Amino acid sequence: MFLLAADASNPMSVQILPLATAVVVALVTVIVLSLFVWPTIAKGLDERNEKILGEIKAAEDARANAKAAQEEFERKLVQAQQDADTMIKEARAQAQKAADDLRARSEAELAELKKRANAEMDAARRQAVAELEAHAAELAVSVAGKILGRTIDAKDQKALVEQSIKEFASSGR
Amino acid sequence: MTTLLLAAGDNPLGHVLDRDSALSIEGTRLTLSMISLVVGALVCITVLMMAARRIKTGPSSEGNARFVTKGRIAQVIEVIVLGLRDQMLVPVMGERLAKAWLPLLLSLFFFILTLNLFGLIPFADVQEMLHVMMGQHEKAAADVAHAEPAAVFFGGTATASLSVTLGLAAISFCAIWWQSFRDLGVKGTLEHLCGGHDLVHGPIGLWAVIPIIFVVEIGGMFIKPAALAIRLLANMVAGHTLMAVLFSFGAMVLKAGGPTWAAGSITLVAGIFAVLITFLELFVAFLQAFIFMFLTAVFISLMAHEDHGHEEHAHDHGHGGHGHVGHGHAEPAPAH
Repeated sequence: MFLLAADASNPMSVQILPLATAVVVALVTVIVLSLFVWPTIAKGLDERNEKILGEIKAAEDARANAKAAQEEFERKLVQAQQDADTMIKEARAQAQKAADDLRARSEAELAELKKRANAEMDAARRQAVAELEAHAAELAVSVAGKILGRTIDAKDQKALVEQSIKEFASSGR
Repeated sequence: MTTLLLAAGDNPLGHVLDRDSALSIEGTRLTLSMISLVVGALVCITVLMMAARRIKTGPSSEGNARFVTKGRIAQVIEVIVLGLRDQMLVPVMGERLAKAWLPLLLSLFFFILTLNLFGLIPFADVQEMLHVMMGQHEKAAADVAHAEPAAVFFGGTATASLSVTLGLAAISFCAIWWQSFRDLGVKGTLEHLCGGHDLVHGPIGLWAVIPIIFVVEIGGMFIKPAALAIRLLANMVAGHTLMAVLFSFGAMVLKAGGPTWAAGSITLVAGIFAVLITFLELFVAFLQAFIFMFLTAVFISLMAHEDHGHEEHAHDHGHGGHGHVGHGHAEPAPAH
């Protein structure tokens, strides 16, 4: 609350003493602030600015490094994947080749065994037939000799054997 | 007390304008504005020094916290300084000029702001109230009657005195012309006053306008700072006068013989409005300090041999061809 009215001088009046005081006090203020305040504040702000810019740059560098590392990692991962795929393919091919070789070798051995078995079977059969023929011939000769009451000489025997063989062969096959 | 209230209703302007204080030096009475200037300067310097200590980088032992400004006031001051420097002064003046004139401009801003804010605090009225409460009201009433200075040692709005604002404008005036002589030289400054290099070295037929321009420019030399002073004075006086008028309504009712309850009611309503006006005054205190500083910066930059873009200057003063002004717009402020 305004309690007391003072002299209401002219608002546009100018007094030298307050004017001079204003100039001097303002100049002193400017000088003191310019010497002791603004340099300190400017230095603090600039240092903080540099710090922030430095931190931002470091963060950007770190991000760039991380990105490069990630790209390198991803590249190596892709390369490893490709290498693994290649190795798997090669392993599969080698396994397939080994299996094919094994199969071919087995089939060859099997064929050889079969062939050998057939040959042995043929030989055995032929031997058995030969033995049977010989035995049959002997038996026939013996029977014939008993029937004829005489000894069959070699010539008769041979002729008889051959005939028997022929007959046996034609009847056995 | 009633006498004083009635006296308050006589002339609200009496609470706004500068007046003599109770202090005197060797017989010379000091005005309230002179004391406010000194106290304002001391407060301004003290607060800014404390803020500077808090803004500056601390010891490395604090780690990253050493870059953080401590304290609310210091943080507000830092924001104001950064805003004025990066958003206002550097775009208007360019890096070189802003760096050179930043101390003066910021000092003017904070000094004027301090004086304006002091005006919002009723130091003088509190002293007068204490004076009355101590039983001196009869003498105070007599003071009113005989227009003698009250027992007030400090208070008022220094920037509501034309003497003070003219003193501040004188500093701006000196800064503007110091910049002109430093950058343009005596010859360039004279050419500027005569309409610019193109006109002086142009066709002889155009020389007839040089005296006219010279008179206008010479007038502008003084009108620009005077406008700064009067603008600041008028804004401070107007706001405070409005406040004083609002507060004096109750006294006017009493003086007119109205009932006490009516005076109380009107005072209550006026007080509510006065609170709202006080917020406006707070804004005006900042705004006028800024305008004074900013226009000083603009006037300084108009006198600069700077290529940072002042097409208005080129158009206003015909400086387009002599290289004293730039062509183009100011660069945006760098990020800080």
